[in-house]
Amino acid sequence: MEISQKEENGIVFLAFKGRLDGKSAGEAEEIINSIFKGDNKRLLFDFGLLEYLSSAGLRVILGAAKEVKRRDGKFVLCALNAYVKEVFEVSGFGAIIPIADSVESGINQIC
Amino acid sequence: MADSNMGTESILLVDDNPTNLQVLYQTLEGTGCKLLVAKDGETALGIAEKALPDLILLDIMMPGIDGFEVCSRLKKDPATKEIPVIFLSALTDTKDKVRGLQLGAVDYVSKPFQPDEVIARVDTHLTIHRLKREVEQKKDALEEELEVVSDVQRRLLPKNLPEIEGFRLAVHYETSLYAGGDYYDIAELGDSQWGFLVADAEGHSAPAAVMMAMTCALFRSYPEPPAEPAELIYFLNRHLCKVADPSFVTALYIVYDANHHTLKIARAGHPPPMIYRSSEKKAIEYSCGGVFPMGIDPFEQVPVTEADLQPGDRILMYTDGITERFSMDGKTYGEERLLRQLEGDGNLQPQELLAAIMKDVDDFANGRPADDDQALLLGIVQ
Repeated sequence: MEISQKEENGIVFLAFKGRLDGKSAGEAEEIINSIFKGDNKRLLFDFGLLEYLSSAGLRVILGAAKEVKRRDGKFVLCALNAYVKEVFEVSGFGAIIPIADSVESGINQIC
Repeated sequence: MADSNMGTESILLVDDNPTNLQVLYQTLEGTGCKLLVAKDGETALGIAEKALPDLILLDIMMPGIDGFEVCSRLKKDPATKEIPVIFLSALTDTKDKVRGLQLGAVDYVSKPFQPDEVIARVDTHLTIHRLKREVEQKKDALEEELEVVSDVQRRLLPKNLPEIEGFRLAVHYETSLYAGGDYYDIAELGDSQWGFLVADAEGHSAPAAVMMAMTCALFRSYPEPPAEPAELIYFLNRHLCKVADPSFVTALYIVYDANHHTLKIARAGHPPPMIYRSSEKKAIEYSCGGVFPMGIDPFEQVPVTEADLQPGDRILMYTDGITERFSMDGKTYGEERLLRQLEGDGNLQPQELLAAIMKDVDDFANGRPADDDQALLLGIVQ
């Protein structure tokens, strides 16, 4: 899995490409932890190129959501494909983690 | 065993030239290591096998078998293959160095050598070797602990499946050394009603096992027979939320009425049950509303979905260790394949059907071990 990172207008963007599962969850967690070393409070995950999400991946996402909440910040997941969206819904996480159809609408949500 | 000074370690020096051997001996005498010597390859191999030195300094050009051959044989023998070998040789061509390193030597020092350099490299490699052994011991100790965790997990499970009139049950439960979170339990509710719980603590080993043990304890200490699925899930969650842990627990709780073949289903982040309808000869994922997993936040409303079964129907509760099982080429088993397996041979007893499913899962994995627990709980209506 590839993760690319950038920061714009006070929002940290993480774009995921490939599979977020047991194998790549550790790497994702490290990158997220390093983002939290700074003062960052607005986090946007671009899932446009994410093909697959497992429960290990959900745990990483949940960890990020909890930390953002602790900092009183904002978090959004964007551009989930139909499959990933379904994983999200079935797991019940759709009720507690905001999702947006696109990166643009995601930005609007957390600004 | 983890001594940090060189004084308790031993080095085998191998060189056919007595003068070289003496110089080497004198160079390394000051290190405090015990020094062993051999003048040819065969003797070196004999000493290595008996004394198991911590390091071998090996000349290449020797009569009889040369240093390359000695190294090659050392590496083939399980008793000696971990001993680090440093070639010490007048052969300074790059291809000789490469050959030496490819044979498994850790270093290659050219003759004539600088005493300080030899001492420094010997020190480096002894240290690496020592640390490697420590890591391996710690890894062994850790694996033993993980096995204890797996063992504890298994002991928390129900000892037997109940005999229920008109409803045949079977269960398959397999832990992965590196998991520790899957759990199932069955409660007799009276009035021909039974509660079936399948839960999955996300995460690995000890933390997941603790959450799993807590879930088990909470389920069993529920103040009355848990006949209302929503209330049971609500109760488990309320207490699990008090545990400040990054892990969460998914759960599927089904109350089954064996007289009327009706089900009430509550689901927290867990895969929905699969139901095979004998009238249609087809299995589907039974869509039911749910909440997010337990242990995160209090629930507001836990939806309950109802269903009824006909004779010949099958219901399967499972954990995602099955559907997310990886094959050698990185594919996952998936829900579709499990559904097709559930549709299998109509005459099989539940235990046989589960065995067939697990065989299919293992065939799919093609030798790749599971990295998560796997659990299946199957009921067939007679």
